[in-house]
Amino acid sequence: MAFLDNSGDIILDAVLTDTGRQRLARGDGSFKIVKFALGDDEIDYANYDKAHSSGSAYYDLEVLQTPILEAFTNNTSLMKSKLVSIPRTNLLYMPVLKLNTVYDDSYQQGTDDLFYVAVDVATETSQGGTGVINGENVPQGAKIRIDQGLDTTEISPSFPLDADLVETQYIIEMDNRLGHVCDTVNGRQARVSFIDDDNIASYFLSLGTDPGYVSEITETADEDNGKIAVSGPRGTTLKFTIRASIDLNSSTFLFTQLGSTTNGPTNPMSTVKFIDSTIRITGATTGYRIDVPVRFIKNN
Amino acid sequence: MATTFKTLLNSDSTTTRTLLHEAIPITGTIVSGTYDESAAASSNIKNYSHGMFQSVYDYPYLSSSANQIFDLTVGYSNNSAHSNSANSQNAKKINIYNQMAQVLAGYDQDGNIREFDQDGNFAAGGTKLRECVFINFARLLTKDEIKKESFELKVMTGSTPATRTSAEVLTISDYGAINNYRVNSPAGEYGVLYTASAAVEGTGVGLIYYQAGIVVLTGSVYDGEFGANGAAYDTGSFDAVLTGSEISASADGFRNTLFNTQFNNTTELNSKIYFCRANHSDFNYSSNPTYLSSSKLVVKETSTDSPVSYVTTIGLYSADNELLAVAKLSEPIKKTPDTEVTFRVRLDY
Repeated sequence: MAFLDNSGDIILDAVLTDTGRQRLARGDGSFKIVKFALGDDEIDYANYDKAHSSGSAYYDLEVLQTPILEAFTNNTSLMKSKLVSIPRTNLLYMPVLKLNTVYDDSYQQGTDDLFYVAVDVATETSQGGTGVINGENVPQGAKIRIDQGLDTTEISPSFPLDADLVETQYIIEMDNRLGHVCDTVNGRQARVSFIDDDNIASYFLSLGTDPGYVSEITETADEDNGKIAVSGPRGTTLKFTIRASIDLNSSTFLFTQLGSTTNGPTNPMSTVKFIDSTIRITGATTGYRIDVPVRFIKNN
Repeated sequence: MATTFKTLLNSDSTTTRTLLHEAIPITGTIVSGTYDESAAASSNIKNYSHGMFQSVYDYPYLSSSANQIFDLTVGYSNNSAHSNSANSQNAKKINIYNQMAQVLAGYDQDGNIREFDQDGNFAAGGTKLRECVFINFARLLTKDEIKKESFELKVMTGSTPATRTSAEVLTISDYGAINNYRVNSPAGEYGVLYTASAAVEGTGVGLIYYQAGIVVLTGSVYDGEFGANGAAYDTGSFDAVLTGSEISASADGFRNTLFNTQFNNTTELNSKIYFCRANHSDFNYSSNPTYLSSSKLVVKETSTDSPVSYVTTIGLYSADNELLAVAKLSEPIKKTPDTEVTFRVRLDY
């Protein structure tokens, strides 16, 4: 008779992230761990083979063989996909976040599936057009809209999304050196929750308290499918635009340091300086996240 | 309500203190013989223009790969019979002794620097160590402190360097120190060094300061010629080299009579352990983009199938959702509604 494995708990050594170290060094009490999350960044669930001929014990054979990377300390590069706690076990569909580029012309992307942010009036004038956000005259120009819901044709959008799957808070993370999040109605700048050591600003925007950004999707009819990014039951939508930072507006320093030059998006005969960046949108409740590529441009 | 975070309760964390020990062996050849000391480029021995001490490295010291392992110096008390203004570097040797004594032995009630006491019992008077070799180990080796009763120093003494045999190796150690050490030093705990395995009161030949990482060795342990059989070194008795030559000559002599030394260091590790408990209803779904295909869970065929997820990473967060620490598993752990897992995440300080 063999011994039972009583190894019990799994002991792990944790490393401080760069932000963790910064807060610890600050000594102001901001280093306080109060919660945890579990992540599965390395897992490709496409390797989960439900049709494995040898039976269910072999479904996740490849998944379990996934090699795991060592921890690294950049806080924004880890925990990209989190595990989600939902008490129910009978869920077959889960909501996603999806970029809506079809609601109307103002939400369309520009060439190369990018949103462009013209960082000053001169660039707005010379390069303005589809997919170009006015980075100085906010909120004119293009806007960014994210829809949340079930992106399936199996369930009619007229069915409401289960209440526990409706996203009620979004986190927008973007490089604070480049721009700031603004609402699409008045162009008012959103309040930054915090800026980390890598100059990544985080904005927390909630349903109810930030009506200029987050609202429920009211278009729930099948015929609205051409306007909404998700095909099935719908939850909430996040809309925002971007104001260029003063540094980009008034200087070319960051363009020289972080970017390059290319042809203008709407006026290809001209050249513009550009910086490519990504805006990360995460559902605080459901954990789903998408990255929206953005190019900041300035007349060369 | 779906959620990706779980709050850590007060009962989900605890603090621990662990003492880690490393064995530090230093062979006699590394401190003399391995490297050519005649040229700075190849020497692991560094002498300074002030002449107050000598540094020993584990590799030629001009190399960036070199680590300092200890400093050597000698000194004697102003009350020593050897103190004489005619001596070479007399003032410096007294200054060294006084400096070490005031740091390690402290002051008496009148503010006078106390001399090193053979058994650490200052109140009883007793024998004082007035002519001493000081070995100051680098913190790189001693870390937080030297482990008690782990120190051993083997020196060659007696006869002349040319005729010495291994039988003339004298072993000095802090025998019995794990249960018998002193705490009346301003520099922390210290033990008495003996030449015999039994710690007999009144036979100590030196003191070892565990937290300071300093060994104080009386010169009286040396018999015969002090130094190596070579023209580069003074080869008189310990007393002759101590009084007649500079500090660096005594340091050379000590190195050349060093057979080897070893000790265990101690690192005090304070840890906070977070018990991250994933109960049966927690973390069974994933926000991984590959988890869904057209919003449908790829791990389920029907709604009655059990959800499954795989844990690879544990993130520890602040109240404002900032990732402060992260721990990785060595392999994915399967999480289903019929399993509960507790991850013990240890954060060392």
